[in-house]
Amino acid sequence: MPELPELNPVIHGKLRLALLSLLVGVDEAEFTWLRQKTGSTDGNLGAQLLKLEEAGYVAVDKKFVQRKPQSLYRMTEAGRTALSEYIQALKKLLGGAIGD
Amino acid sequence: MAANAEELELKDRIRLIESMIAEGRRTTESYGWTFVFWGVAYYIAIVWTAIYHWPWAWLVTMAGAWVLCWAIIVSKKKNKPERRPGTTIGRGIFAIWISMGISLSLLLPALGFSDRFNQHIFVAIVAAMLGVANGASGMMIRWKAQVAAAIVWWAASVAACFGSDDQCTAVFLVAIFFCQIVFGVYAMLWEARVRKQQEALHA
Repeated sequence: MPELPELNPVIHGKLRLALLSLLVGVDEAEFTWLRQKTGSTDGNLGAQLLKLEEAGYVAVDKKFVQRKPQSLYRMTEAGRTALSEYIQALKKLLGGAIGD
Repeated sequence: MAANAEELELKDRIRLIESMIAEGRRTTESYGWTFVFWGVAYYIAIVWTAIYHWPWAWLVTMAGAWVLCWAIIVSKKKNKPERRPGTTIGRGIFAIWISMGISLSLLLPALGFSDRFNQHIFVAIVAAMLGVANGASGMMIRWKAQVAAAIVWWAASVAACFGSDDQCTAVFLVAIFFCQIVFGVYAMLWEARVRKQQEALHA
């Protein structure tokens, strides 16, 4: 019997998975844009982004634009690879049920 | 039962990934107005040329329209609370339209200065270039309405090579009406509908 893959726990969290899926399609995104797209609170979003940052899946660039702080998040190569592996593992786990 | 719940949760994750990737790539910028804006600018230049027979009418109108269009885009971006992230597709479409604008800005005055300019060549070139830009953009974002606009421009480009001057003008006016004014209004309505859907989603 083939061994079933394990799902990466850092990515498996719903909000973290949503964030990586959003970031995979864009060059970089502001904190406010990610908040708007996910409908999350500032605190929760900040905490989940920090976890992704600590895992090396996203990188942040903090700067001031017109005296206002701006945090720009982008996906790293490690993040891209991890998300791709996560999707492969999901597909494997679901097997034939994926098209249902 | 537990296995079934787990399967549902995994499927839910797949749906989440798909919807978020689509959300990230979806354009919320409104560019439908630019089609109407440029359509009106073409009409102004055509009427100006027809009434006053001033050879610089097109150049002056197009230069003025460039400046005004750029100023409106910059002011719209300044008033937005958050900046939309750039995407490869977005950059690609921007590059196509800017390149088309530069090509026309260089080629048409050069034809005029070299005295090799005539109405048929002008309409054929402008229509073909607009066909390329609309066709490439429409194919990139898989928008059939924009590909249809490209087909009308390509047909106008071919038609401009035949017939009288008046017929050529009529072809150009009709193509502008359908591909700039009608398509622009349709794009604006479509963008407004998408914005409403997104607002409802995040309400």
